[in-house]
Amino acid sequence: MKPLSIRDMLYEEPGPKMRRQIGIYTILAFLLLAALIVAVIRQFVITGQFDSRYWYFFGRATTWRFLGQGLLTTITSALAGSVIAFILGFLLMRGKLRRNKLLRSISTMLIEFTRGVPTLLFIYFFFLVIPQTGIKMSAFWKITLPCAISACGVVAEALRSGVNAVPWGQTEAALSLGLTETRLFYKVVFPQAIRFVIPSLIAELVIVLKDTTFASIVTCADLMQNAKVLISNYDAMLSVYLVVAVIYILINYLLNKLSDRLAFRLRTGTAERNAA
Amino acid sequence: MTISALLSQYGDRYLQALFETWKLTVFSFAGAFLIGILITVMRVSPIKPLRVFGDFYVQIFRNIPGAALLILLVYALPYLKIVFAYRVCVLIATTLIPSAFCSEHLMSGINTISPGQIEAARALGLSFFQMIRRVIIPQALRSTVLPMTNLLVATMLTTSLGSQVPLRPMELTGIVSYINTRSAGGVAAFAISAALYCATALLIGFAGSLIDRKVRILR
Amino acid sequence: MIQKDTPIIELKNVNKFFGNLHVLKDISLQVHKGEVVVIIGPSGSGKSTLCRTINRLETINSGEILIEGVQIPEEGKELAALRSQIGMVFQSFNLFAHMSILDNMTLAPVDVLKMKRKDARAEAMRLLERVGVADQANKVPSQLSGGQQQRAAIARALAMHPKAMLFDEPTSALDPEMIGEVLNVMTELAAEGMTMLIVTHEMNFARRVANRVILMDGGCIVEESEPDTFFSDPQTDRAKLFLNSLNK
Repeated sequence: MKPLSIRDMLYEEPGPKMRRQIGIYTILAFLLLAALIVAVIRQFVITGQFDSRYWYFFGRATTWRFLGQGLLTTITSALAGSVIAFILGFLLMRGKLRRNKLLRSISTMLIEFTRGVPTLLFIYFFFLVIPQTGIKMSAFWKITLPCAISACGVVAEALRSGVNAVPWGQTEAALSLGLTETRLFYKVVFPQAIRFVIPSLIAELVIVLKDTTFASIVTCADLMQNAKVLISNYDAMLSVYLVVAVIYILINYLLNKLSDRLAFRLRTGTAERNAA
Repeated sequence: MTISALLSQYGDRYLQALFETWKLTVFSFAGAFLIGILITVMRVSPIKPLRVFGDFYVQIFRNIPGAALLILLVYALPYLKIVFAYRVCVLIATTLIPSAFCSEHLMSGINTISPGQIEAARALGLSFFQMIRRVIIPQALRSTVLPMTNLLVATMLTTSLGSQVPLRPMELTGIVSYINTRSAGGVAAFAISAALYCATALLIGFAGSLIDRKVRILR
Repeated sequence: MIQKDTPIIELKNVNKFFGNLHVLKDISLQVHKGEVVVIIGPSGSGKSTLCRTINRLETINSGEILIEGVQIPEEGKELAALRSQIGMVFQSFNLFAHMSILDNMTLAPVDVLKMKRKDARAEAMRLLERVGVADQANKVPSQLSGGQQQRAAIARALAMHPKAMLFDEPTSALDPEMIGEVLNVMTELAAEGMTMLIVTHEMNFARRVANRVILMDGGCIVEESEPDTFFSDPQTDRAKLFLNSLNK
């Protein structure tokens, strides 16, 4: 039998009257959506935005090389930011799971702080305050660090929920075998926990990547910043921004898809092992 | 500058900015919730084009960076002879993005309901709308309290996009860059806004877990 | 006026496919008023599907299903009205998880039969008393044992005053020690003259309570007889094989 998803269960097998209604509404909805698309295209035509002068440079390799350079910076920044967020998040998670009360409350505070403050505020902090202190920092780190800091609290919480998902019985068993708590954590608990949270870590990478789009504030030459250069070169605002938005959407879509797939495999894998 | 000096000089503006952030958050979230429900209805409907549109909508706004969407609205749309005021552009961006996540949360809320309960409702003679009203919606809403709480906080964080356009009055992020460009507010200027954001987030989180404990469905 | 010999449930040459799989092959069957018909058979024989076609939780590809001589409606209010007259008990209880047992009981009587809430509650308590879970009325389903949940689910179906009741493997999801309490409730119902169609693996129950036993295999009815005949003197080789496999 086919697997039941609620999405398909909500409506039962239609009778003849219902089938006719669904047919009518399907055609109506189709026409409505088609009209919407036509209206958008018409607006492009009326305003001359399909004019080749707004699009011809996308046929040039240099355009794509330039955008590619920006994209590379964006991806490097997102990856570096995620790695830093992971390290910070790991430390915060360790702190929050400690018996030491002071350490625990400091970690909790930092987690809540980074989760409750918008990334933009961190970015402005690195943009406006750090230079005042005399610290020299490249534009790359001025965007990467705030994005990392903004993400680390969420990473810490994700890691913590992963650690909590490891069955307590294993901890007891390991302790009874005489493992120290530190060895227990790194040998038994964490390797399992990390598997649970890989999907949410990838989802976090998407968030960091989105946050790096503010890089032009600190004049870091990411995809968005390079897009702005293209725009001033070719005087083509709409086409460039649309293309760039589509690039961002595609990358994030693929990352989210990967995260969903891993999460699904993890769920079914665990279910199979439990059933066996 | 010290925090007290800042507060005496800019205290009123901070208060205004806090209310502005709250207002943007509330309006965006309300709008996001309504659109989220509408999109979810489309996504579970038996009408294929609506399903496809709903899925497409969610993928677009779930994956587009806030900055990119705002820039499109503010700078690119006028080239199509579609011009919105700055405030409207910010509101559209801070509504559409959370609305996609809202729909995702609602979908997974619906998915926590076992199909058997739907069959039971049918077998008892409940009509489609009775089933939706009495069985599906109450359970979907109850199991999404915590995700929705997180979404409300995320919406608040998204409203910081308002700092990217000239808004009057300013919201909590915009005011910090304003103060820092006029007088060196330093760390203190950030601390005040950060504290106000955090306090709001904690308040929302607290209220959310309170509600969740009240309505959670035991399984 | 319904004629005395009009069966409550009648299937005529019913066929159903899941894709290419022919799960119900030309099934014909009658259940008369007050009769208890038990369907047994190996898993995958189509017995659950058969049970679920009767209130159109599964659709059929050809044939007819008649309730008191009237073909079951295909959709809409008419279908809902018909379903409200046929009780159904599921393998996995399917109580509404967000409602107390009492609210589970009164939902359909109030919303569908338009009973007054007060009357519905009184009736619900009476039925819960009868199946022995009245003291659990204000708990939510997950706080009850499987046996208690299933008895409450039976009471929920009874609250609609059904003309007939369908049981789709009502004890298959239960721990062994809870099967008895559910079967006892069903035995009482049968004794009171309820018309019942039961899909089950409980052979002793079938032998004791059924008026008629039907063996299904591969989507066909292979044998249909009185329980004594069926269990002591099966007519077909398939039935002998099936009974033998149970005794091992």
